[in-house]
Order: sequence, then structure tokens, then C-alpha cells
Amino acid sequence: MDHLLLMIWHALLVSVFFAFLWRSTAVGRRNLFLKTFLIMVVGAAALGWLMFPFP
Amino acid sequence: MTARGTKSQKNKPADSTKEKRGRGQNRASAPLLLGSWFLPGFGHWRLGKKRRAGVFAAVIFCAFVTGVFLHGEIGTPKPESPFSWLAAFACLGNGVLAIARLVWLNGLGGLLSGFPFALQGGGSPSAAGFAYGNTFLYTAGLMNLLAVLDVSDIARGEKD
Repeated sequence: MDHLLLMIWHALLVSVFFAFLWRSTAVGRRNLFLKTFLIMVVGAAALGWLMFPFP
Repeated sequence: MTARGTKSQKNKPADSTKEKRGRGQNRASAPLLLGSWFLPGFGHWRLGKKRRAGVFAAVIFCAFVTGVFLHGEIGTPKPESPFSWLAAFACLGNGVLAIARLVWLNGLGGLLSGFPFALQGGGSPSAAGFAYGNTFLYTAGLMNLLAVLDVSDIARGEKD
């Protein structure tokens, strides 16, 4: 299975969980979900690129 | 009038502090917390948070099933490896899902006779998804444990 897809699936599940755990309004949940999901996916991709030159 | 006003002003903060302390002293019932751990989403459902219960149950179930399909291993304690206790703790957080998986792998007799050091956790270390599968299993268990703490907070009136 594609590693990127697995990472996105994992980020999706965790983001949905924390959005419902920490926020009680629909808007708050949507905002937290988008924030955590993007941080995890974009952050992981950025870290991958940063580590690329290292052996 | 001034004296009465001063008295009521003095009483107000004391009452609210007492009220706050009273709220904090409430304890969530043990069966509710145990049920919440055993069946993901159960505690929130009992407290009337049905939407949250459904989402938590679905997320934890999806993460657990993904972990199993990726050949992840249910953590079991090993005497020579202290970190295996942490993995076992995280995996047991899945409640009935982890127990059902252990029964599937060991049989009911094997589960009872082999507990805790001779249990088979399944998984395949040579599989490409082994490490990913473990991550999904640990994450699902830890999310369920966080949900149990959330149930405790809601039952004590600390959170909506």
C-alpha cells in the first residue's frame, strides 16, 4: 500500500478524533480539523524534503 | 444598605468557589469508565453525546482494522523487553477490539493459559506494513483511552 496514502489516512483519523474531542461547535471542529490535518500532512511532506539530502 | 451590599459581595466569591470545588469533587462511576474503555463510544453514548460517540467508535474501529490489515502486532508484554509493556498498554486501550483479536489469535483457552507472557500478538515483522500497522493499533488504543478521560470529565461536569 502507498505510504503517502497511509499517512494521509492516519492524519485524517487523528484529526477527526481531536476535532470532536476538543471542540464542541461545528465551526470550531471544522477549523481544528483543517489545521491539524494540514499541519500533519504538509509538515510530514516538508520534513521528508528536508531530510532528502541526508544519507 | 451599605453593610448588606458589602455582605452579599463578600459571600459571592466564596459561594462560587464552593460550587466549583463541589463540581470538581464529583466522580465518574467505575462501570461507566470501564464500559467506555471496553466498547469505544459507549461512555459518550450513555452521557447523551451520541454524535461524538458515533464518530469516536468509527475512528477507533477504522484505525484498528487498518492496523490489523497492515499485519500489525497486538502488543503483548515480554519480560526481557520493558518497552513491550508500553505497547501492550497502548493496544489494550482498544478494549473489546484488542481482546477479540487476541482470542482470534490464541483461542480462548490460549488467552487464559498464556496470559500475560505467552500470548501471540499476530502480525508479520517481514511485511511491508508491519511498522505502519503497529502505529495504527497503538494510535487507536491511545485515542480510546483519551476518550475515556473525556467521559470522566463530562460525567464530573468539568466539560460539556
